Amino acid sequence: MKAFGEHFNTELKLSLRGMDMVIFAICMPVIVMIILGVIYGSKAAFDGAAYTFMEQSFGAVTAIAICVSGVMGLPLVISDYRNRKILKRFRVTPVSPAMLLAVQVAVYALYTLVSLMLVYITIKLFFGCVFGGSLFLFLGAYLLVMLSMFSIGMMVGGVAPNVKTANLFCCVLYFPMLIFSGTTLPYEIMPKAMQRISDFMPLTQGIKLLKAASLGLPMEGVMLPIIVMAVLALICAGISIKFFRWE
Amino acid sequence: METTVKAEKLCKSYAGIKAIENISFSICRGEVFGLLGANGAGKTTAIECILGTKIADSGTASILGMNPQKNRKKLFERVGVQFQESSYQEKIRVEELCEETASLYREAADFRKLLTRFGLHEKAKSPVNELSGGQRQRLFIVLALIPDPEVVFLDELTTALDAKARREVWKCLSELKDKGLTILLTSHFMDEVEALCDRIMILKNGESVFCGTVREAIATSQREKFEDAYLWFTDGEEKL
Repeated sequence: MKAFGEHFNTELKLSLRGMDMVIFAICMPVIVMIILGVIYGSKAAFDGAAYTFMEQSFGAVTAIAICVSGVMGLPLVISDYRNRKILKRFRVTPVSPAMLLAVQVAVYALYTLVSLMLVYITIKLFFGCVFGGSLFLFLGAYLLVMLSMFSIGMMVGGVAPNVKTANLFCCVLYFPMLIFSGTTLPYEIMPKAMQRISDFMPLTQGIKLLKAASLGLPMEGVMLPIIVMAVLALICAGISIKFFRWE
Repeated sequence: METTVKAEKLCKSYAGIKAIENISFSICRGEVFGLLGANGAGKTTAIECILGTKIADSGTASILGMNPQKNRKKLFERVGVQFQESSYQEKIRVEELCEETASLYREAADFRKLLTRFGLHEKAKSPVNELSGGQRQRLFIVLALIPDPEVVFLDELTTALDAKARREVWKCLSELKDKGLTILLTSHFMDEVEALCDRIMILKNGESVFCGTVREAIATSQREKFEDAYLWFTDGEEKL
């Protein structure tokens, strides 16, 4: 535990010094939330809806940090460490690959949690939104989405032969998910055809889950997203540990 | 004497080109063993096959009686390694790198003492990439000593160091050797090898052309100075 703590401290410091995650995982979601707030104000989500458009968007916007951390930050740091031969140096120490991965996962999990809190404070203070759902269910859903996105990232970081390939994979996964999963561009305003494409993305399923939990909607239609997320997490995490490469 | 490092008939080739062939030696506790040879002679490959970071095509290696691949976690509590190319995170500071390294071991040496010993205590707060080549090299020797190892591998020990710093490093290693530390090093400086190594192996094109003490090398070659003896072993034409 001591090793994990000290390792975590150093890696967090290094990551903060890099600044990119502060901008993309922490500032960006807050800015997106403010922009949506300026556009939609206290409008209802649709005619006769019990919640506002902003309240509906909350779940989606909190997923931005998960996407940025899991599909961009995490795989790039792992492949960068391999490329710089830092993992090779770790290989001749007693540390296990699982712990190295766990430290990075913890660093990026912290980013997403800080981001989640800031987004919540923003819509609560500035736009008077209320959290109508179950906090317990929401956190559970959030954790599940995080787990599955992070495991995709670990897999990409774990198996990509070099930083360039990792970067390419990340872009291919990251930008479509960021734009078409409804994180930045709300799912509800997409044309029907686009929604259908969007439905294929794992993050879209995750966001549906987050929305249902944050709005207190009935949990009937959520079995599919839960299964998709859980299976994805299991497969990707398994692959990333099984095929972990030091060099 | 107890054997701490053992290599038996190690062979390794890359894409059909042999890097090392039939390398065998053993090192006793408290002994300093030097692996010599020109660039590309196979020194680093030999070290990596022993450490298990490269898998030998054939042959076996053990450190402290353990297989470095099977007993990796247990073994590297007691073994320190300095690779030829130093690697560290961007923007990391000297003391952070030391802290992080120390945190990986159950029992680590006091890195502040080591930094002082190697003249780096004033640089503790500096970013590693702002150190000079020599300072960085000393830092990586410090990192290799942080586990308080019984065996240490030093690849290209003092390449970037100035004369004074090299002497300091020698002195420090000699003291550690007296306390029972086993050292395997590679070096291109023959004075360093003479000053430190109990025994040496000279590699040429991946094969051992000599294994024994410096004195034996001089005697076999019938040269006066060790450097000439080394050249005699590595330079095939003159030998004919």
